[in-house]
Amino acid sequence: MTDPEENESPHSSLASSEVGLVVPRDFVCAQPFTFKSGQTLPGFTLRYETYGSLNATRDNAVLICHALSGDHHCAGAHAADDRKPGWWNNLIGPGKAVDTNRFFVVCANVLGGCVGSSGPSSVNPATGQPYGISFPFVTILDMVRSQKLLLDYLGVASVHAVIGGSMGGMTALLFAIEFPAFTRRVLAMATTSRESAQAIAFNEVGRQAIMQDPDWNHGDYPKGGGPRVGLAIARMMAHITYVSDASMDRKFGRRKKNPANGEAYNFDVQFEVESYLRHQGQAFINRFDANSYLYITRALDQFDLAHAYGSLEAAFAPVQAECLVVGFTSDWLFPPEQNRQIALALLRAGKSASYAELSTDLGHDSFLLESEELYALVRAFLERHESAAVDFSI
Amino acid sequence: MTKLVEKRTVDMEVIGEWVDPASRVLDLGCGRGALLHYLVQTKEAAAVGVDLDFKRITACVGRGLSAYQGDMTGFMRQFPDRHFDRVICSRTVQELDDPTGVILEALRVGRALTVGFVNHGFWKNRVDALLRGRKVRNDVYTTEWFESSPSNPVTIADFEHFCAAKGITITRRAHLLGDWRTPCPALPNLFAGYALYDLAR
Repeated sequence: MTDPEENESPHSSLASSEVGLVVPRDFVCAQPFTFKSGQTLPGFTLRYETYGSLNATRDNAVLICHALSGDHHCAGAHAADDRKPGWWNNLIGPGKAVDTNRFFVVCANVLGGCVGSSGPSSVNPATGQPYGISFPFVTILDMVRSQKLLLDYLGVASVHAVIGGSMGGMTALLFAIEFPAFTRRVLAMATTSRESAQAIAFNEVGRQAIMQDPDWNHGDYPKGGGPRVGLAIARMMAHITYVSDASMDRKFGRRKKNPANGEAYNFDVQFEVESYLRHQGQAFINRFDANSYLYITRALDQFDLAHAYGSLEAAFAPVQAECLVVGFTSDWLFPPEQNRQIALALLRAGKSASYAELSTDLGHDSFLLESEELYALVRAFLERHESAAVDFSI
Repeated sequence: MTKLVEKRTVDMEVIGEWVDPASRVLDLGCGRGALLHYLVQTKEAAAVGVDLDFKRITACVGRGLSAYQGDMTGFMRQFPDRHFDRVICSRTVQELDDPTGVILEALRVGRALTVGFVNHGFWKNRVDALLRGRKVRNDVYTTEWFESSPSNPVTIADFEHFCAAKGITITRRAHLLGDWRTPCPALPNLFAGYALYDLAR
């Protein structure tokens, strides 16, 4: 996912339709946690935010699942003078598509992450040093199970919906598979049921950029240090996969950084797109941990529902949730076809599932788009079944 | 209710009579899901619709239906033989690029196929064409030729011929007069305004 700063959301965090100031909290699970790999932690922490309130029947929770580089801060602001609100602020808030007047919205930084949740940059109490690559291997399933423990802790009896884009979509689907009676709706956007060779390939280039940086040092580096060059390059490359030819051309074209300089016969920044990507890389290294990047991309690579459960239909067999999958025409990282296949397999398995496809030219990150059409769809899905009367409008 | 909406409900009632309770129904060209919603409400059908338009899919989703945005043939190819108890192709067949392909594929994935269409052989349409020499326009086909989607005017005689030529069994027919309500007693190709067929392989 691209930086929240790239999503031109109008920021008026204190306006009535906004979530407003929010405070992240930590869920500390003191029980031992066994990962899918069999490795264990004596306990773990998830940093999370909530907006709105849990109702008396404890069934109005909406879990938001973030993508690779996202975090728990999906709406509102941490301070009145924050430059940007949470990454899905356009979707979540009072009266918005995910209406915090009605829903208790929960979003947590994933296990393995680096924004407050336990991950490779956390300190291993046994050594007093960051875990580095001795942190247990994390899978999407581990993210799901740890977030379920958070929802249990918050007193949620069942979730109204689990919503996510990209990796968040994988998380949402797996939620419905692992906790079928708990999960009433799943909204998965710009996602896949199995990471394709192309997507794995891009992740591998990112990982190699990190691991070939001498400062990576086999994952052993101090907080604030590490493979800054490698991580920046990984981010620059990944960023290209989140947008599209058309959107980059519209945003930058061949515009030059300093047109007055004429043709420059050197390798300094010439084009605006170069300067933009370098900025993306630099901004990323100040907020993301290189080892977390390795862990989470590996979790993505290993995601393959058909392989894990025998077939996609078998994977979806336990699902009780109503599902909605949304693809975006210009998404070439998780193309519409891969989203379509999820909905089709759910339908073959006899489940309630819909597929909608939005025409955009913004690439993979289209799911973060400010689109009234998308908001209307999300609202229709979350608020369905509230009026049972037959209406004959066509 | 407008005349068109009234006619829509008649269409739904006839199709509803043919749908077995709790059956698995696929609606090709489901629009905003009115028919499927009716079948869910009255027959507890397990309903899936296919349509090309995002906003219509949104309307279906809001009605609690399963709806798939995309090409109907491509959709059907993803399902095993006889996956659906009934496929419905209501007022869609005249707009298809490949009606034969769609109908044969629908008869593969469905145990039964219901096709409903406006009969272009209806006498008023003939008179209209003969006297005015213009494309048929009426309550149902309200648009000028240049603003409507491509349409393949089909008559009852054409459709019966098609079924015979392809070896498709017609298990039920409903021919309705120009009011789309009263059963047509004779000469349906001339006097029926609307036709519904139940087909099987």
